[in-house]
Amino acid sequence: MTPPVELIPAQRQRLWGWQAVVNFTLGGVGAGLYGTAVVVAGFERGPSVVLASWLAPLLVLAGFAAVAGEAGRPLRGPRVLWNVRTSWMSRELWIGAAFVPLIVADIAFPLRLYRALALAAAVLLTLAQGMILRRSRGIAAWDAAVMPWLFLLSAAVSGSGAYMVLEVLAGRAVAPAVIKASLVLLAAALGLRRAYVFTPAGHAFRDATASLRDGWAGRVGVGVGTVIPLGALAVALASPAAAAPAAAMAGLGMVAGQAYFKTELILRAGLLRPITVPALRMSRRLS
Amino acid sequence: MARWGMVIDTRRCVGCQTCTIACKQEQGLPSGTAWRFVADCEVGEYPDVRRVFLPMQCMHCAEPPCVPVCPTGASRRRADGIVWIEYNACVGCGYCAVACPYHARHRVHEAPGYFSALTPSEVATAWPERHDVMTKCTFCKERVDDGLAQGLTPGVDPAATPMCSVSCIANAIIFGDLDDPASPVSKALGDGKAQPLMPECGTQPNVFYVVD
Repeated sequence: MTPPVELIPAQRQRLWGWQAVVNFTLGGVGAGLYGTAVVVAGFERGPSVVLASWLAPLLVLAGFAAVAGEAGRPLRGPRVLWNVRTSWMSRELWIGAAFVPLIVADIAFPLRLYRALALAAAVLLTLAQGMILRRSRGIAAWDAAVMPWLFLLSAAVSGSGAYMVLEVLAGRAVAPAVIKASLVLLAAALGLRRAYVFTPAGHAFRDATASLRDGWAGRVGVGVGTVIPLGALAVALASPAAAAPAAAMAGLGMVAGQAYFKTELILRAGLLRPITVPALRMSRRLS
Repeated sequence: MARWGMVIDTRRCVGCQTCTIACKQEQGLPSGTAWRFVADCEVGEYPDVRRVFLPMQCMHCAEPPCVPVCPTGASRRRADGIVWIEYNACVGCGYCAVACPYHARHRVHEAPGYFSALTPSEVATAWPERHDVMTKCTFCKERVDDGLAQGLTPGVDPAATPMCSVSCIANAIIFGDLDDPASPVSKALGDGKAQPLMPECGTQPNVFYVVD
């Protein structure tokens, strides 16, 4: 099939920059950290859940604050809540606005119900962030059906990574089940990411995602964010004596790898679609 | 109710940018911002090379992806098909700009003048409410609405027609009611040569191009 004729090349979008990256990254880490802590604790209020209950809302709110600074009229911020019927940006803010008070309520009046609802909000928050990109039809690399699931898995990976780092810093042993689950999550995230970058979604998508697929950036991201953590987790499982530093190293790599992936996705792959026409007659016109 | 649309005949366009300047003047756009422009495109490989002038603007889509994503509801579509922005409701988040496949939306952080200080005419035509929010082509809706109120026919009477169409030296930009079979724009569409840009995006644009 003949590719369409490209009249105006793809251009880098310049409206969403590092602030958007910060929002997507901190939102993912915060939601993932809370989800991991709650699931590992079996919805009980252990010390890890207490720590995550303080950190996760701060991370999510810091992301919102960062992205608010990117808006042209940030003082009109509350208006973003308005169009929840169709806009995933509104939905993201509503979900975030539910996530934080639920955790605050759990801190003040501990209840498993609050934890379960906050966990659901955390999952929805990451899906909403993925859907924000999914609905960006002008950016070929973002307009992918797999995007919300990429964000969900990314949050799970970065959250479990942050969880392991915090456990080690707190002087607690990381449970082997957590390490095994992290191995599975890393492998799944790598598989989904490969499926995403190799999606046969057309010329514009292929060009926009080239750096994630074939470039130096993609290789470093996979190396630091996946291969090194996989190795470190294997060491942590095989050698209990080295488990703590290995788990911490894996956790750092997992957080850094997912942050790097989102940075590349927003800043480098964020190309406005080229303007194309189906066909052009190339022969000389008679005048 | 009319359904406003446009046919742009690129075979006629000579790339003079008169429509670009007419739009900037009519809308009082600051330097660095153009709601429409004529792309000077060179396509093909030697010796089969062509130069194509492609006027670009908002496509006023029937399924505009910019409208549902807007978190404040500031991006709207009228019953007559004109997609517009309520500046006082816009937060300037830029979501509509990344949702638009046609590079049609712009944000102006400040209104830089063409000289070291704003000229009297720049001061007179400044639109402070358009700073830091999203802006785009409006099909000159004020001209269209005022013209209709005076009993004029948009696309036929110049005073009721978007400035780009009025100013085009080659009559390459034809505006009018797509639902009126007698309108010039419907007649231009009638021969089947005009096509929307990138129909694969599913936006159902109301701006059509004749590209040969």
